[in-house]
Amino acid sequence: MIVIEGLSFRFQGSNRYALRDVSLTIQAGEFLVITGPSGCGKSTLALAIGGYLFRQYDGEAEGAVTVAGIDVRRQPIYDVADLVGLVQQNPEAQFCTLTVHDEVAFGLENRCLPPAEIRERVAWALGIVGAGHLVDRSLAALSGGEKQKVAVAAMMAARPQVLIFDEPTSNLDPTATAEVFKVIEQIRAQAGITVVVIEHKVDYLLPFAPRLVAMDGGRIVHDGLLNTATSRFQRPGIELSAISNEHTPSASQPQQGAPYVRVEDLHVGYDGQPVLPGVSLEVHSGEFVAVMGDNGCGKTTLLYSLLGLIKPDQGLVEVLGQDTRQVPVSHLARQVGFVFQNPDHQLFADSVWAEATLASANFQSLDDVTEARVGELLARCGLGDRRDDHPYRLSYGEKRRLNLISVLAHAPKLVLLDELLIGQDAANATFLLDLLRERVDQGDVVIMVNHAPLATRSYASRLIFMDAGQVVVDAPPELAFEQLAAIGREAYVPHA
Amino acid sequence: MRSRAQRITYQPGDSVFHRLHPLVKMAWLLFGSVLVFVLRSPWLVVTVVALLVLAFTLAGLRLDRVRGTRLFITTALLLGLLQILFVHGGETLLQIGPLVITVGGLQAAAYVAGRFLSVILLSYLFVLTTEPNDLAHALMRAGVPYRYGFALITALRLVPVFEQEGQTVYHAQLARGVQYDVRSPRRFVTLARQFFLPLLVSALGKVDALAVSMEGRCFGKYPTRTFVREVHATRLDWLAVGLLLAAALAAALLG
Repeated sequence: MIVIEGLSFRFQGSNRYALRDVSLTIQAGEFLVITGPSGCGKSTLALAIGGYLFRQYDGEAEGAVTVAGIDVRRQPIYDVADLVGLVQQNPEAQFCTLTVHDEVAFGLENRCLPPAEIRERVAWALGIVGAGHLVDRSLAALSGGEKQKVAVAAMMAARPQVLIFDEPTSNLDPTATAEVFKVIEQIRAQAGITVVVIEHKVDYLLPFAPRLVAMDGGRIVHDGLLNTATSRFQRPGIELSAISNEHTPSASQPQQGAPYVRVEDLHVGYDGQPVLPGVSLEVHSGEFVAVMGDNGCGKTTLLYSLLGLIKPDQGLVEVLGQDTRQVPVSHLARQVGFVFQNPDHQLFADSVWAEATLASANFQSLDDVTEARVGELLARCGLGDRRDDHPYRLSYGEKRRLNLISVLAHAPKLVLLDELLIGQDAANATFLLDLLRERVDQGDVVIMVNHAPLATRSYASRLIFMDAGQVVVDAPPELAFEQLAAIGREAYVPHA
Repeated sequence: MRSRAQRITYQPGDSVFHRLHPLVKMAWLLFGSVLVFVLRSPWLVVTVVALLVLAFTLAGLRLDRVRGTRLFITTALLLGLLQILFVHGGETLLQIGPLVITVGGLQAAAYVAGRFLSVILLSYLFVLTTEPNDLAHALMRAGVPYRYGFALITALRLVPVFEQEGQTVYHAQLARGVQYDVRSPRRFVTLARQFFLPLLVSALGKVDALAVSMEGRCFGKYPTRTFVREVHATRLDWLAVGLLLAAALAAALLG
């Protein structure tokens, strides 16, 4: 079905090949998983199979790609699109319309199919992803998992012979992730098409025993069946699966002294809808808290409340002895660091060095000690010789490291992290988590919203699980996982 | 960002105005805006304003809940007051020292404030009762090239996204101690750059993803496309068109 021969590609302005001499043959009906660390070229390969790489991106290409006998490098994209559907990472970013029906019909309307046939195909495509009941909904009102199902249906509606998923679950919580993988399974079973999944979290795909291709540095480094025996290839590639269990998280000890965080009966709502309907908790020095729960459960709102970005409607939030209603955010920020979800939303300076020291400079606390600390952190994360580069020239993983360093630079006592680990490969995730552990060992507090059960088990000393704005589980991870399993939240329990 | 006044966007409902075809409403919007400027009687202009206020009630909308109401009413009153104070003509109704109020002044006030209010209220009524998606589809059905129609839809989709991202960037800056309260031109330039660069980078990423998504679904393959979504004209719409023609005729005869 797909034949790739000696494919190399270098993006314009880059001195590194994104793909190097890649050759790969994929049979019709095959189920292929491509994995590898961030920046290994797997997404570029997906763009190449769909033909987008050669049309929409400037660069130097060599080699050949054919799909069902069609030369993808030369054929117009519209012809390739009839054969290959590409589901991208972020469901939000790929929508072209405002409602579910319009979205699934979009590609068919563009192909000038008659309305009666379009209606029939829309119903079929929504059915195959189990989203028939959503047909009249507005896209904005869907959950993350529902959005991605609609994005899949929108591609399936064209009845492609190949469907590529480019990290389809990286923006989703574990519940939605499990749903999307179930959809992929259904498509395999019912439509009998060739499926290519680009994914860090291959452990979800183990039950399907697919063919596994691992990439690194633009090359294919492994090609074989995915099973527990090949899980060694998860080492560089698979998000957090590879994190070793050599660390034993420090058990929560009876705490003395004033709490770092004291939340009492916190109520927050938007437009009359309660988001946090009365949350209470205390966090003490030396705790590494993981906060988990479905998207929309109030995790981020809680985190925002702790820096005073959202003030309580009712109740009390006290951070390091300060009432968030009484002190401005800029004052709290001296002792409270916050890493936001999207790396691109928090890079402000013109160079890596200026970025790392921005907060210290703003707080007028940039002294020799801070400079030495920043220098050491940059060197440790491999950015030591890139001080003068523009932050936007860094790779996704490097940006994430810089985000964390620029928050740790002024040594805040409380570090708040909103989904720091999204899209991070195991090596990067381990690096970030180790940095955080060091802070915790020195008595600081880390509160990390995340969707990675393995990271929580290996690093956190306490797991807070939220549902509909309420804390429903609050215990050391091992105990918490047992409680989660008991309430039907297996998606949040690490695989054996 | 919480429990604020309603934004000036579509408010779902089932009133007569909500059910009218978007293009019929658009025709009324244009006609009404021209009408208040050609009417030759201040009473008629005031009547139009009164009818529009009534229309808001019919549409189930509460003016006092809509953002900006206070601003445009204050502006209208101020405009009227200026006319009363400075336009003199016809019979003098009241004179206290330098303050002279005349019939001409009152008429001018009714014209200016009434026209201003009419145009604002008409636009509000249109925006608050018209689902933008329906409008875009109606325009495309009426012959507007679909590329423009989808440009409108994409804009509608991305505005709230960018609004939210702007908020996040602002929060991220606060968290890193970026100070917004220091005022100097150079500082302003730095702040503006630090604010807009992240948004720009994020927008460019979205454009890439969107381009792949659109081309991958054959957007632009043919000069035309089919539409499954129907925006039907109903009897109500024909009635509204008939009323519009009658009103136009009456205005022409009376004017």
